[in-house]
Amino acid sequence: MSPLLKRILLVIPTLLLVSMGIFSLLAILPGDPVTAILGLEATPEAALALRAQLGLDDPLYLQYAHWLWGVLHGDLGRSFIDRTPVMDVLMQRLPVTIELAVGSFAVGILIAVPAGIMAAVRPRGIANYVSTLVALFGMSVPHFWLGMMFIILFAVKLGWLPASGYVPFTEDWRGNLAAMCMPMLATGLRESAILMRMVRSSLLEVLNEDYIRTAFSKGLKDWQVVIGHALRNALIPVVTASGLMVSVLLGGLVITESIFGIPGMGKMIVDAIFQRDYVMVQGGVLAAALMVVIVNLVVDVLYTIIDPRIEK
Amino acid sequence: MNQSFLPLQRLFKQLVAAGLLTATSYAAVAATINISLDDDPGKLDPTQSSMIAERMVYQSIFDKLVDLDENGKIVPMLAQRWTISDDQKTYTLYLQKGVKFQDGTPFNAKAVEFNLLRGQEKSSLRRNELKYIKQITVVDDSTVKLELTTPFAPFMSILTDRAGMMSSPDAVKKFGDDYVNNPVGTGPFIYKGRLKGATITLEKNPHYWQAGLPKADGVTYKIMSDVNVAFNNLRSGQVDITNRFPYKEITNIEAGAKYAVINKPSLGFRGFYLNTSKPPFDKKEVREAVDILIDRNAIAKVVYNGAVAASHSPFSKAQFAHGDADTPPKVDVARAKALLKAAGKEAGFSFKLTLPTTPYESQVGQMIQGMLRPAGITVTLEKAELATQIESGKAGTYEGLFVGWSGRPDPDQNVYDFVVTNGSLNYSKYGTKEVDDLLQQARLEGNEAKRKAVYDQAMQILVKDVPYIYLNHDNVLFGISKAVKGFRYVPDGVIRTATLAK
Repeated sequence: MSPLLKRILLVIPTLLLVSMGIFSLLAILPGDPVTAILGLEATPEAALALRAQLGLDDPLYLQYAHWLWGVLHGDLGRSFIDRTPVMDVLMQRLPVTIELAVGSFAVGILIAVPAGIMAAVRPRGIANYVSTLVALFGMSVPHFWLGMMFIILFAVKLGWLPASGYVPFTEDWRGNLAAMCMPMLATGLRESAILMRMVRSSLLEVLNEDYIRTAFSKGLKDWQVVIGHALRNALIPVVTASGLMVSVLLGGLVITESIFGIPGMGKMIVDAIFQRDYVMVQGGVLAAALMVVIVNLVVDVLYTIIDPRIEK
Repeated sequence: MNQSFLPLQRLFKQLVAAGLLTATSYAAVAATINISLDDDPGKLDPTQSSMIAERMVYQSIFDKLVDLDENGKIVPMLAQRWTISDDQKTYTLYLQKGVKFQDGTPFNAKAVEFNLLRGQEKSSLRRNELKYIKQITVVDDSTVKLELTTPFAPFMSILTDRAGMMSSPDAVKKFGDDYVNNPVGTGPFIYKGRLKGATITLEKNPHYWQAGLPKADGVTYKIMSDVNVAFNNLRSGQVDITNRFPYKEITNIEAGAKYAVINKPSLGFRGFYLNTSKPPFDKKEVREAVDILIDRNAIAKVVYNGAVAASHSPFSKAQFAHGDADTPPKVDVARAKALLKAAGKEAGFSFKLTLPTTPYESQVGQMIQGMLRPAGITVTLEKAELATQIESGKAGTYEGLFVGWSGRPDPDQNVYDFVVTNGSLNYSKYGTKEVDDLLQQARLEGNEAKRKAVYDQAMQILVKDVPYIYLNHDNVLFGISKAVKGFRYVPDGVIRTATLAK
């Protein structure tokens, strides 16, 4: 069996473990879903009726089995709160978070790679000091604060962009981009700070290799050496880091989504936890886990493209 | 100028233009009123509702049998008038004629019967409020007679809220379990759809029965759980009304600001239960000692920037039962020490106060810690979510439990279940025959002045027994754009959207 196929098959036990883990965590969480949903005005009759309707009378293992059986049949269950199918909500939320994640990541890469190269090529130049300073700032400033500052500057003071809210891309692409650019920038800047340091140090290392000296001695121009010879090898650790950062990014998006009022997955899962909407949490976490797993698969494939010496 | 920079400049200009264009396209739909809510409404069905954010949305979709005015008085809505029999057990409602639900079906006496029966079903959260209805009789198409098992003075006021909201019987039958996502009422706005956790969109009801209303073309509720986020949206014009306002900003509003703040008494209260079923609060003296050590005015000023009224009773100024008992006691450390001595606790004691997870209540908790220290009382603070709080309240496992109440128009709804023996919200596990009798008597009394006298009597006992430490009455605190016209304050804190325009 090829290693790639093995990796793909490993996805299944990974997801199973994740779902079991989150189910157990939810079970030990204080605060009963029925109490959370009915609130202060609950009557004993209403509580009983709801408990039966949600299937919470069953023993835990049976609840999990029911859920898993549904998932295997493509049914993620229905929200405890309003009975909407979890799948529908995911289909609504997932694209939003993917857009935000991809956008933030793109911002991160677009800033990090050029800045990292400049810093590495001229280690004593002004570019190095400026980008180091910016990176330090980007890493130490919490992105929710940065987000707030963006809102105050671009939405409140200048009035260029909406302070929050979300329009689907398919409905109004311009409105969508206007709403998404601040959150992407706020999250992306942070990403870029970390990635930029990575590109810089990795590139510095590669630039000291013998083959680079050979390339220079052949009379190639600076940029030819850096782009054509050094960057490719320097990118391997960066790609690894990027893959690992996706899970961090997804976690960070929870806050970004709250500040900018973007109806993504992160906010959905957090809201569902507070409302004790267990089925929704399960579905959301499963989708998030799937995303992380897929990204890591992609990273593995990317290795082989960047450096064909790495075995498939 | 360097030529290579030109495309970049053009791109930047285009981007800015796109930003401005989007800004103006938002202005083009100005006839939609945008309201931010700090909580995401759950089920869009009044019989299933448990939070105030939901009531905001409902009142746009559903009309009620009767409504409240700015003074908290009950005024006609779908019932244009009503009579109450001398024994106060029979209510006859005379309904508006020619009113249609948003799905085109007629609103009539049969629909009222359907809705009230539905509210009494086992799965309904309105069951408690409607439990005294014994018999519903459809007299004719626009008259309905309700017979109660017992006189119940708060009855009409209950119909000003969710129990009095009328759903289309056809829609309820058609959608079944999914009615929570397809609400149909007779109200000024029609439900169009929602993006969970983000927006709820309503459109003008073109056939609304009240002439000239609604003024706006639509209402969009935007969910913004963070008060500062909502505030920034108000400042930038994305939101016209916010259902919360940052306390610290109340005194910061500049003269030229495009927004104002609505800061008026509500019907609710904030404070904490003391568990009278176990030490240390099983002793009345200990509870009273805590009561007279807390400086409510300091809390109102420091934490809430004056947007609350310091209190000592469940009845705010917006309520007819409001009386002298609501004036907080003077802080008296010497007397508190004497009380503790009488209870055998002169060395002081410690207890755990369970707080909600909000930052403001954390501050209140810390202030209370400091205020109780001079008498040797040590307070440990713990945070818990509402569901956990409710569970420990019901089970009586806590010592001090900070749970507030958003308030209801009738005083009964703000005190009865909280203090009467075995009441559904009596987490203090308190109970005395005198209070039970008085509160029962108040339910039977139809005359407001006489009812107030009875509540005064009950409060005299309650302020001495202290099952609950009343700290303050929350104000209705909205941020509102100056472009919005037709705003009407109602003490229940629910925004009436029909008259809003901009």
